[in-house]
Amino acid sequence: MKKFETFVALPLILAILATGCANSEVEQAEGIFIEGQSGADAETLNWILAADATSSSYVGHTMDRLVTYDNELNIVLHCLARDIETSADGLVYTITIRDDLKWSNGSPVTAEDYVYTLKNLMFSDWLNYNYKGDWQEEVDGDTIFVTPEAINDTTFTITRQTVYPEFVYTIYDLMPYPKHIATKYEGDIEAFTQAPEFNNLTYTGNLGPYRFEEWTRNDKYVVERNPEYYLGKDIGAPYFDKYIVKLFGTSATRQAALEAGDITYTGIEPEQARKFRNLEHVKVYTIPSGACTLLAYNQRANGWDGLKKKPVRQALSMAISKETICQSILLGFAEPAFSFIPASSPWYDGENVVKYGVGSLYDKQKAAELLYQEGYGAIKGDETIKATNEDGSPLKLTLATSTGSQVSEDMAFQIKHELSDLGIEVEIKLIPWATLLRQYVMNTVPDANQQPAFNNGPEAASEKPWDLILMGFTSDLLAPSGSDVFYTTEGGLNFFGYSSAEVDKLFSRARSKEALDKGMRQQIYAELSHAISEEQPVDFLIFSRVNSGFQKNVMGIEPGISMGYNYYLWHFE
Amino acid sequence: MKKSWLRDYIIKRLFYSVIIAWGILTITFVLVRAGPTSPADKYLANIAASGQDVSQVIASVEARYGVDKPILEQYADYMVNLFHGNWGWSFSTSMPVTELIKSHWIYSFQLILLSSLFAAILGILIGIYSAVKQYTKTDYIATFLSFIGISIPNFWLGVMLILVFSVKLGLFKTYYDTTLPLFSLANLHALILPIITLGTGMLAGYVRYTRSAMLDNLRKGFVTTARAKGLPERTVIGKHVFRNALLPLVTIIMFDLGSIVFGGAYLTEIVFGIPGLGQISFNAIFANDYPVVIAVTLIGTLLVLLVNLVTDITYTYLDPRIRYD
Repeated sequence: MKKFETFVALPLILAILATGCANSEVEQAEGIFIEGQSGADAETLNWILAADATSSSYVGHTMDRLVTYDNELNIVLHCLARDIETSADGLVYTITIRDDLKWSNGSPVTAEDYVYTLKNLMFSDWLNYNYKGDWQEEVDGDTIFVTPEAINDTTFTITRQTVYPEFVYTIYDLMPYPKHIATKYEGDIEAFTQAPEFNNLTYTGNLGPYRFEEWTRNDKYVVERNPEYYLGKDIGAPYFDKYIVKLFGTSATRQAALEAGDITYTGIEPEQARKFRNLEHVKVYTIPSGACTLLAYNQRANGWDGLKKKPVRQALSMAISKETICQSILLGFAEPAFSFIPASSPWYDGENVVKYGVGSLYDKQKAAELLYQEGYGAIKGDETIKATNEDGSPLKLTLATSTGSQVSEDMAFQIKHELSDLGIEVEIKLIPWATLLRQYVMNTVPDANQQPAFNNGPEAASEKPWDLILMGFTSDLLAPSGSDVFYTTEGGLNFFGYSSAEVDKLFSRARSKEALDKGMRQQIYAELSHAISEEQPVDFLIFSRVNSGFQKNVMGIEPGISMGYNYYLWHFE
Repeated sequence: MKKSWLRDYIIKRLFYSVIIAWGILTITFVLVRAGPTSPADKYLANIAASGQDVSQVIASVEARYGVDKPILEQYADYMVNLFHGNWGWSFSTSMPVTELIKSHWIYSFQLILLSSLFAAILGILIGIYSAVKQYTKTDYIATFLSFIGISIPNFWLGVMLILVFSVKLGLFKTYYDTTLPLFSLANLHALILPIITLGTGMLAGYVRYTRSAMLDNLRKGFVTTARAKGLPERTVIGKHVFRNALLPLVTIIMFDLGSIVFGGAYLTEIVFGIPGLGQISFNAIFANDYPVVIAVTLIGTLLVLLVNLVTDITYTYLDPRIRYD
């Protein structure tokens, strides 16, 4: 039987031999920065067609936008030669790009490329750009596009007919397509979608710190150092030979890769932060973010009637502790939210917001009394108040949230637990995101033949009834007035049916000529924050903080809300 | 004579396979398209999540995804394209489906092949040894370990192997590196943990099946006769007992092969970051990328049909008495 044993052991011996042979080949990672990500891969590198953030971040390694922002949210010029000039009436924006930007064939990037991208691609009917709404305005009841015009090789203007003080931030994000290539595909969406130049980023020239090398779907995205990079050629930046985004199927294996030193950087889950802080070779940075989790109250016809009344919404918000969510679920890596503007935004005004769910405004007794006063409570034998429907029947609410996030699920159960103290029974529904949007969020007027939308007017209701929806949104730190789509009566994303004349008016002022004056805009935002935090159209729960783990030998990082703004200067010790 | 009926049988089975594959393709097409969600939903959801009103772009996005036509027209278009070798465009990865599959099948193939070999060779050898040494310490240990092997979820096992052998001991990289040349020791090294992860459950099963099949045959009269004739023990075990035990084992091994093609390999691919067809198809399902979902379902179907055919043919060689009408 000895031969059996030898044969059984043979594969193991081979494996051990292979281990020894292979180690020398695996250890060649100097100069390569590997970022670990989990979640879905990018959908396309043809960025104008992209709807996901990953696609944009992949392209961002090879092409700069007009500006970026530092950790104090000041603009840092990239493709711009100088800051955008806005005319005194707030209608004309003059954009001057650098004169040393080049496409891969050596031809200069001109103002005409930017204007062409806007006029012939973003504003075209055949391409129907997903974010064209950012470039439209309402004039005399019509929706029209702004007007771009090339002045010379490096200067172009964009003219609006109505004032929108924060429109400049939309322009800052602009990237061009090369006119000399794009014209080949113009008008043919299928050919444009499949264009090899755009899907392989072969045109990006010196526009980004890296050049496209390889994209293995669901595995990795690889870019190589661009020695011609306009911001780096004089100083030798970027300093990594390659930058790789490696995708992992689970956060456990992604974090294990950082711990083992196989990758350079990745996000750290709250429950792992303490462990990684104690590792000698890893440095963890905790930074605030604009990612807000909120609880929307359905004020449409298919939601519980009580939610249409402000005191009832206030009562529910008063019964949910934001500190408990921050500490128990997010382990301290979050801060309570009170309005759509996060504390990290320059427009935040902490003194004017009403802070439901913390301090004296986290009070279940008061919450129960408020409900009772509004006719939604009954006094039990022990003198306590129990929330009920108006007819005294037990109150049951449906809370819907999307699947796939343990944090969201934990928060949903915490809310259920808190509301049960008021006598409210909450049924939790975990639904895939796309289904949640289609069946619960999008709405139509009953019996009307209309396309579902997020806000089809006050009479519209979603296909399935709901009372509370727990979901996340990212607030724009610099241009919060864009949140009007959520909180104004006719806002395109006001799926919960909230309506307040005061809030409508304040948003309108924030987007008017009056707000060109920054002091005035600050005051309008303060009033807006107060109104919304007091009205509670939704319960703003938390703004998350993000933990980023780096190998300790990465130098040049400036921790802060916009930590990656200078990443082309990062280097190994 | 045998050749003639076997050839006819193979031709008939291939014909049936085409019909079955077409049926499954059609059912998959209808299921994917007739579900409550649209292939454009994830894309539209992403647009909505960034604060945009999607109502303006729904129609054009659905047209781009090819889901704006009646389902019969879509089906006819799909079949015509398929006959021309065009499997469609994958919207979730922005590349032709054929190219996507071409560039990823090898990762699944090598993992499945090596795991199956690892499990079959070791499992059968340990099973034989365990049967021959019944009720010894070695047998008890093999039986105990095989129970554990069957019970361990491979997802958990994979993560544990990474934590011990990659993070703590530093013997392996924590993820599979697709830049390694396929036919290299470095690639074999990178696949060791995934192979153990995917193969352990199968291996444990083969130990149990082999042991049981061997013990059944060891008790039979022809074994006593062979021993009485003075044949060496190695010949008795290897030629008489094992050959008879092999028939049910082939069925089980082939069945396992079919099931890991359809899903078992996926979890291992996820844990070790192997961009194989399992991962591609899983992501495609979540992205409602129906050209990819249909293509990988069709490939899986064809593979299972092929494996079944090969199994049937193998039977005729292992047991010449078997004949298919």
